[in-house]
Amino acid sequence: MRLPIQINEQSAEPLYHQIEVQLRALIVSGQLMEGTLLPSIRELAQTVKCSVITIKRVYNDLEAEGLLRTRQGTGTYVAQVGEQERGRHRLAAVIEALEQAVIAGKRVQCTEVELETMFKEAMNKHFD
Amino acid sequence: MMEETIAIQLDGVVQNRSKFKLGPLHMSIPGGYITAIVGPNGCGKSSTFRLMLDLDKADGGRIELLGHHVGQGIDIELMKRIGYLHDQSSSHEDSMKGTEKADFHRFWYDSWDVNRYRELLHLLEVDDNQTLGKMSKGMRRKFEFALALAHGPELLLLDEPSSGLDPLAWKTMIEVLHRYMDRGDRTIVMTSHIIEEVKRLADFIVFMAQGRVLGVYEKDELFSSWFTLFVSGAELTPKKASVMPGQCGVDHAGGTTYRVTTNKAAEAEQWCAAEGYQIVSRQALELDEIMSVLLIQDRLSIRSN
Repeated sequence: MRLPIQINEQSAEPLYHQIEVQLRALIVSGQLMEGTLLPSIRELAQTVKCSVITIKRVYNDLEAEGLLRTRQGTGTYVAQVGEQERGRHRLAAVIEALEQAVIAGKRVQCTEVELETMFKEAMNKHFD
Repeated sequence: MMEETIAIQLDGVVQNRSKFKLGPLHMSIPGGYITAIVGPNGCGKSSTFRLMLDLDKADGGRIELLGHHVGQGIDIELMKRIGYLHDQSSSHEDSMKGTEKADFHRFWYDSWDVNRYRELLHLLEVDDNQTLGKMSKGMRRKFEFALALAHGPELLLLDEPSSGLDPLAWKTMIEVLHRYMDRGDRTIVMTSHIIEEVKRLADFIVFMAQGRVLGVYEKDELFSSWFTLFVSGAELTPKKASVMPGQCGVDHAGGTTYRVTTNKAAEAEQWCAAEGYQIVSRQALELDEIMSVLLIQDRLSIRSN
């Protein structure tokens, strides 16, 4: 299985974090269903072109969060995600994206008012 | 999960040649991972391989392979657990047929897997029914590569595996190596001059120059630490820019903007934020760029000592 995970080598965001955010989103959005067998560590490392050390860290972190579980010898699976959990993670991904947008804005010296205007414009574009 | 073990341990290994001194080398190569040794021509990569395999004798120090002390006579049992791809094919085998060399391997390696061997030849499109001297450079390389893997070694030493391969064969080789590693308990140590190959395969990178190890790094950590930042600030001067954490070079980039290379990107960005400087743009360094900075730093440190 090929996971739709893409990394940006030019980003300030650490690699493991980029992958973690995307994999978490795939799980809490339900795109990866409970019980889905994930690629092996080496396989995923190969597809996203990073080291197995990074993927191990991602799998360990998400396992600690209760989103993944590892069965000895068979592989890593998507765990059951409760409704409450799903809601919390769902918002976490959005908050993260918004923060990134603000950081990008600050990098080119946007004012707060400019950012707010842009945010409202984006809202208007996507909600009618 | 993979067990954390040491596949290869070098402690103060030295080899004195009339025109070249190798070492003292200290390095630990972890089991279960792919480690790439990179460095300029003649930095001692191939010599290090030859010492590890007991093909040459070290003049000092201690080498351990898979928990065995190397250099106390030929250890056949140990050699059976290792696969080795030479950097050059030996001309004394030119008149030998591929099938004959394969028979020789089958005789020595108990774990020789003929199906695996056939599968590799098929994947790499190699015909072993001709003499090695008649094979093209790339064909012979692919044949030797298949031989090195066919007994399913625990430890695979590859000396510039891709030299002479066409892009398709190269891609197949990368895939074969990834699949070989998938079990999680095998180890590859390789040398390479191909940046893309190191990026796709390596978990750890060892930099070597002039017979010494400059450093061992986890690949993703290495690439995420080295950045060129374009920093701007009304008060910014070259002198102020030079105290950025991990600074390895400052250039004026026009106006109040400076181009600063750092090997501590995260700290450097925090520093910029704290000092009130603006990061206009950021660029990750490529492996060759990192290597040339390390080489310059190494030369400077030798000179000042």
